[in-house]
Amino acid sequence: MSSSNFLINPHPVLVADASVVINLNATGCARAIMAALPNRWAVTANARAELIQGMRNGHNDAGALQGLIDARAIDLVTVGEMGGRVYESLIDGSALRTLDDGEAATIAYAYEADGIALIDERKAMSLCASSFPKLPVVSTAELLLHEAVIQALGPEGHIKAVMAALQKARMRVPPAHIARLVTVIGEDAAVSCMSLPRAARAAV
Amino acid sequence: MTENSDKLPDTEVGERLRIARETAKFTQSAAAEAIDVARTTIVAIEKGQRRIRMDELQKLATIYGTSANAILRQEAVHLDMVPRFRKLPQSGGDAIENAVRLLNDLVRAEVELENALGVKRIRNFPPERPILPGDVRAQAEQDAQELRDWLGLGPGAVLDIVPILEQLGIRVYVRRLDGKVSGLFAYDDAVGACILLNASHPPERFRQTGIHELAHFISARRQPEALTEDEKFSSREERYAGAFAPAFLAPARAVRQRFAEITAGQSHLTRRHIILLAHDFGLAREAIVRRLEDLSLAKSGTWDWFQKNGGITNEQARQVLGELPDRSLHAADARGPVPPRLALLAREAWKRGFYSEGQLARLLHLDRHEMREVLDGAELEESEENELVKLPH
Repeated sequence: MSSSNFLINPHPVLVADASVVINLNATGCARAIMAALPNRWAVTANARAELIQGMRNGHNDAGALQGLIDARAIDLVTVGEMGGRVYESLIDGSALRTLDDGEAATIAYAYEADGIALIDERKAMSLCASSFPKLPVVSTAELLLHEAVIQALGPEGHIKAVMAALQKARMRVPPAHIARLVTVIGEDAAVSCMSLPRAARAAV
Repeated sequence: MTENSDKLPDTEVGERLRIARETAKFTQSAAAEAIDVARTTIVAIEKGQRRIRMDELQKLATIYGTSANAILRQEAVHLDMVPRFRKLPQSGGDAIENAVRLLNDLVRAEVELENALGVKRIRNFPPERPILPGDVRAQAEQDAQELRDWLGLGPGAVLDIVPILEQLGIRVYVRRLDGKVSGLFAYDDAVGACILLNASHPPERFRQTGIHELAHFISARRQPEALTEDEKFSSREERYAGAFAPAFLAPARAVRQRFAEITAGQSHLTRRHIILLAHDFGLAREAIVRRLEDLSLAKSGTWDWFQKNGGITNEQARQVLGELPDRSLHAADARGPVPPRLALLAREAWKRGFYSEGQLARLLHLDRHEMREVLDGAELEESEENELVKLPH
C-alpha cells in the first residue's frame, strides 16, 4: 500500500506499535503528525508495557506516550476476544512464526477493529502479508511521507522531523520508500543516517 | 490466519512459568493473587495440569518482567542458575540477585540464538586444577603462569581481558551493574562457563575481576561465584582467586625484570616507580604495590606508608606519564551493549527474519534504542553478500 492512498478512508483506526511511537516521539512533533490525519489513533497496552520496560538509559518514550494519551491524541486499548485469537496465533509457537507481545497485540487489535497496523518491523510486515493479507500495514516512513503530514509540518519542519526520526530513533525504512525519503532529506543528509541501507547512504 | 502446530505441551509451559516466577521472586500465592485464582490453580498450571488462559499469561508475564512470547516461544531456552547463587553465603543482596538474573537471561539469549541459527560454541577449556593442600598463593602463582603459557601470552601486560576469556570459550558479558557487584561466574554442563562483569568499574578493577572469575573457572568451575565490593577473601578458593589475578596480570618474572630496569642505580622506591609499573601492567597503584610486597621487591607495609604520607594522586601520575594515550578508556565501553559474537548472532537472526526487533530487545534485555544500535548496518552487510566473500562453511 503506498503513501498516496493509504489514508483515503478516514475511518480506520491507526494502531501504532511501540516502534512507531518511538519514531514519532523522536520527531519532536508527534502530536502535529497525528493531528494531520483525520483518523483515530490507538496504542495497545502491550506496546505501552514494552515502552515502560525500556525506560532506562534516559529514553522516556513511555512518558511521552502517556502525554499523548492524556491529551487524548491516542487511545490506550486492549485486545478483545476476537483479536485475542489473532494475538495468540502470533505469540505462541516457533520463533519464526511469532512476534513479541507488543507487535502481536498491535496486529491483533488492528485486525479486530478493521484498522490499520502501524508497524516498521519487517518480520511483522511479512507475517501480516502471509497470515492477514487484507490487513493494511503502514510504516512510520510511509506515514511521514503522507501529503497531509508534509502540509501540516511545512517543508522545513517536515525535513527536520524525518531527520530526527532517522538519527535519534534510527528509524528503519522499508525498501519501497527509501528513494522518496532520500529525496526529501537530500543525499548529503542521508549519508549521516546509519539506519538507512548502504546504497542510500552512499549516493553522494 | 495460519494455525501454529508447534505449540509447547502444557507441562513445558508450566515449567517455564515456574522458573519465571521463581526468578522474579514471586511466591505461588502472590502469583495467584495477581491473576485472581486460588494458589492451587497456580500449582496446577505449573505442573501442566491446567492450561493457562491467555489473559492470565499476559498478566503473569508482565509481573514476572518477561513476555508471553518469551514463555511460549518454542525455541526459548529456560536455564535456571539463580537458585545456585542463592546458596552462596554472600548472595543475599538484591544487587547480586539482579546481576545473576541478568547473566542467566543473557546466556539463555545467546544459546537460543545459537540454536536458531544452528551454530555451536567452540569450547577450548583448559584442564581444571583443583586447589591442593598447602600454600594456595604458591599454587595460584604457578597456575597463573602455566595458563599464560598455555594461552601463549608471553610476558607482556594483558590490557583487554575479554578476548582472552572468549578465546577459552567462556561466555563473557559486560554490562553496567550495581557498584557493589564486581562480577559473577557460573558453570552449567549444558551451556559451559559464563562470566558477567561490571562495566561501570574502572578498567584496572574490571581486569582484576575478570581474572578473579577466571581463577574460579580454573580451580572450582562447578561452584558459582559472586565477587562483591567488600569481599573478604576468607575461604581457600577466594584466597586462591585473590592471588591468581595479580599473578596472571603481572607475572613475577616480568615484574622483577621491569622493576630492576626502572630502579637501577636508585636507593628508594618512589611514587614515580609505582606509577610507571602500574601503567606498564595495567593494574591499580595499590595492586602493583601489593604485588611488589608479595614478590619481596618492596617491604611489607609499603602501600600503607604511601597512603599515610599523602598517597599517590592522579595529578602525580599525569606528571609522570605526561600525555600518553589514556589507557583508562574502557574497552568495555567500546564494545557496546552486547558482546560482539552475541551481536553478530542477533543481527543474523534479524536479517534472516527469524526474530523481530521486539523479540530480540526482550531477549537481550535491551531497550529498543539499544537494539536498533546493535542492528544498525545489518542491511549494509546484506549489500555486501557477494559470492567472493562467501564463508566456506
